[in-house]
Amino acid sequence: MGVPRDQIPWFPTIDYDKCNFCMECDTFCPHRVFERRDGDRKLVVANPTNCVVFCRACSKTCGPDAISFPSKPETIARIKQIREGAAVK
Amino acid sequence: MKRAILSCNGLDKAEGSVAREVAIRAADATGSEIICPVLLNRAMARYKKALTDSSLIVVDGCSTRCATKLATRLEAKVARKVLVSDAAKASGQALESTLSLGPKGLALAQSIVDDLVRNLNAPMLAVEPVADFETPTEYLVVTHDKFEFRIPVVDYVFNENDVWARALDGVARVGISDYMQQKLTDISYFDPPKVDAAVEQFGELGSLESAKAVFEIIAPVAGIVTAVNPAVVDNPGLINEDPYGAGWLVEMKLTEWPQDQELLLDPAAYAEIVKRKAAEE
Repeated sequence: MGVPRDQIPWFPTIDYDKCNFCMECDTFCPHRVFERRDGDRKLVVANPTNCVVFCRACSKTCGPDAISFPSKPETIARIKQIREGAAVK
Repeated sequence: MKRAILSCNGLDKAEGSVAREVAIRAADATGSEIICPVLLNRAMARYKKALTDSSLIVVDGCSTRCATKLATRLEAKVARKVLVSDAAKASGQALESTLSLGPKGLALAQSIVDDLVRNLNAPMLAVEPVADFETPTEYLVVTHDKFEFRIPVVDYVFNENDVWARALDGVARVGISDYMQQKLTDISYFDPPKVDAAVEQFGELGSLESAKAVFEIIAPVAGIVTAVNPAVVDNPGLINEDPYGAGWLVEMKLTEWPQDQELLLDPAAYAEIVKRKAAEE
């Protein structure tokens, strides 16, 4: 994308009211975006910058529909803005 | 070819209740046999004839896609697929949280069946491809363990989502890379975008499915879908056999080609992405 990955806010967000910790998303994602933990939240988004920008494949494996992503058009606009060197608020 | 319906049974989720209703109504509307997934698991011989003689309408309730996974395991021929949770989102109506269907659930079920019947009766591919591309002959090869991933050295550009575009005279042909087809393994279903659909760069161009995953095809270019590859709809395995040639997916009339290229990768840059991804696995 021509922009440092950590400046692109594209990664999954888990809705813990819906997540049933079936771990299908973690099993699927080859980029180690998720990590399993002890405690109430048995799964977290531990490595958000490992997420491939515009990939939403993990959400397609999620039965309870607990994973969401940012808006694509807004993310594209942000990438272009950063590329053009404009000030980003 | 006859049709049979393999559906989520839907006993513990509202989406499943809708899926079951869709199956019953679609069976009536299309004269199809219903395959019970529970009995199929218990006594496959009961449905051997239906699975041999029919192409399936697969109805999943939620993204766990139990019915799809069953169909994939049986290597059944799939004619159409429905995912109730996606249809519910597209309709903009939240489902009732109860398992017994209320008026909203019943209305959603009927609208899904109406769409399904309309699609089954309509020719899926009205437009023939216009571009005339030759299969590439020269490749960069990325090697990882025992795997080799080929990337054509000229004419192709890529996004980081493993989708290529090849442009000629204002039209681009689009497909997935050799790396992605190997990662998906045997591709069993191509859900194509609608011809005439306007798609933004990085928007959705339908999806592919294999036993391993659902792959959302992310458009490398902005444009209007002008053709869908009929050979791949009939035989998605072509994507595995020849991802850069006969296994192309769609053609698009380019609308923002000069700007699109700013966010695309040339073969050498894409090779670096493939190296990184392969190393992460």
